Amino acid sequence: MNNFCVDVGYKSINHEGEILCGDHVDIVEAEDGDKIIVLADGLGSGVKASILSTLTSKIISTMMAEGLELEDCVETIAATLPICSVRGVAYSTFTIIHIIDNRRAQIIQFDNPHVILLRDNAVCEYPKKELNIGNKKIYESNVDLQENDIFIAMSDGCPHAGIGQSYNFGWKVEDIGEFMSEISHVGFTAKTLSTILIDEVFKLYGGMPGDDATACVIRIIRREPMNILFGSPVNKDDDNRMLSLFFAKEGKHIVCGGTTSTICAKYLNKPIKMSLNYENTDIPPTAEIEGVDLVTEGVITIDRVLKYAKDYLKDNTLYEEWGYRKDGASKIARLLFEEATDINFYVGKAINPAHQNPDLPINFSIKMNLVEELSKCLREMGKRVTVSYF
Amino acid sequence: MKVTVCIGSSCHIKGSRQVVEQLQYLISENKLEDKVELSGAFCMGKCQEGVCVTVDGEFFSVSPETVKTFFETQIKNKL
Repeated sequence: MNNFCVDVGYKSINHEGEILCGDHVDIVEAEDGDKIIVLADGLGSGVKASILSTLTSKIISTMMAEGLELEDCVETIAATLPICSVRGVAYSTFTIIHIIDNRRAQIIQFDNPHVILLRDNAVCEYPKKELNIGNKKIYESNVDLQENDIFIAMSDGCPHAGIGQSYNFGWKVEDIGEFMSEISHVGFTAKTLSTILIDEVFKLYGGMPGDDATACVIRIIRREPMNILFGSPVNKDDDNRMLSLFFAKEGKHIVCGGTTSTICAKYLNKPIKMSLNYENTDIPPTAEIEGVDLVTEGVITIDRVLKYAKDYLKDNTLYEEWGYRKDGASKIARLLFEEATDINFYVGKAINPAHQNPDLPINFSIKMNLVEELSKCLREMGKRVTVSYF
Repeated sequence: MKVTVCIGSSCHIKGSRQVVEQLQYLISENKLEDKVELSGAFCMGKCQEGVCVTVDGEFFSVSPETVKTFFETQIKNKL
């Protein structure tokens, strides 16, 4: 195995007036670590389209993850999808991106706009082989992966954006590629890239999308470990054990919590340099300890990071806050969401008696919940998370 | 003179930000920047009594309401 990994993110907008989206993205990790990403676009919009695309993407991703042949998947879909009473066909387009061994991407495309590959910040053409499966014209490609490759899969709602309004013939796929290549060097996450693309689509539709539109972005990145220390151990004798394990880990080190940073400074025998700069937020200031990449306050900061994490997985609207701010929570959010791929939590379960005051909105169970919820969100972002308690 | 304000979780919720900002304001209004060094600290171990403030090591419990009096009596008068 090389040390590449994939960062997948997607965003959809619905046809004006619809509550459900007729596009569906399904991401499955097979037992051998391969990732299968399926984007399906159901015929029409609303409930019917939503059922078609959900069934299609679920069936394909599950069957592919079990190692079944593409022909079998396509046949199963054709036999399973309910037939539309209006049009007399059962139909959903799909794009499959199968990341094998983190070395190769197998791309299978049926009737969706073709996947854009950005390599070295420019649109890169890749060979496509035409297959005929069950009377469907399907394209297959195999691409050897390179670091920083970006794949962009879309439903046709994206290139149709702005037809007759901003553009006569919509937003051409080549122009979308051009648009995305210009921001590909920044290092935005897959989620942010898909958000930027979909926001542009929404704008071109004049805020009233004439179709469901979905963008799914896959980035090939190098593994980046990150370690977080949060809270001090129940038993004071465990301080050194916890800290030596924490600092022995490869990658960046983040320390959260007042008492926690104090024992950390003692362990490293370095002073804590506090800042009194609130950076125009209500998050407590950060500090510096030589040998630690970031030192912040505990519960209040992590609570905000959790809020950002939940939003990131949904609408990603708070990116405008944490994307550039200098407070502790924004900094942690950038490190965890944008940089890290493997996150190790070291959580101390000591109870701070002052936090057990019923007047305060922080207590021990809240702290434990924060860790659980945050690690759940990070796993949903596709990161490997371990949590050790002390 | 060294004045340290706790900005840990507990004190933060009890208003350490207001205490810090008022002290910063009062110090500059009285032109005491050369004489008073204001700094922050994480947790002084007396969270129940927050907002925790020390003046040259001596401990005080301050709140956003009492910070002005605290400044007059414990900082300005003692210089």
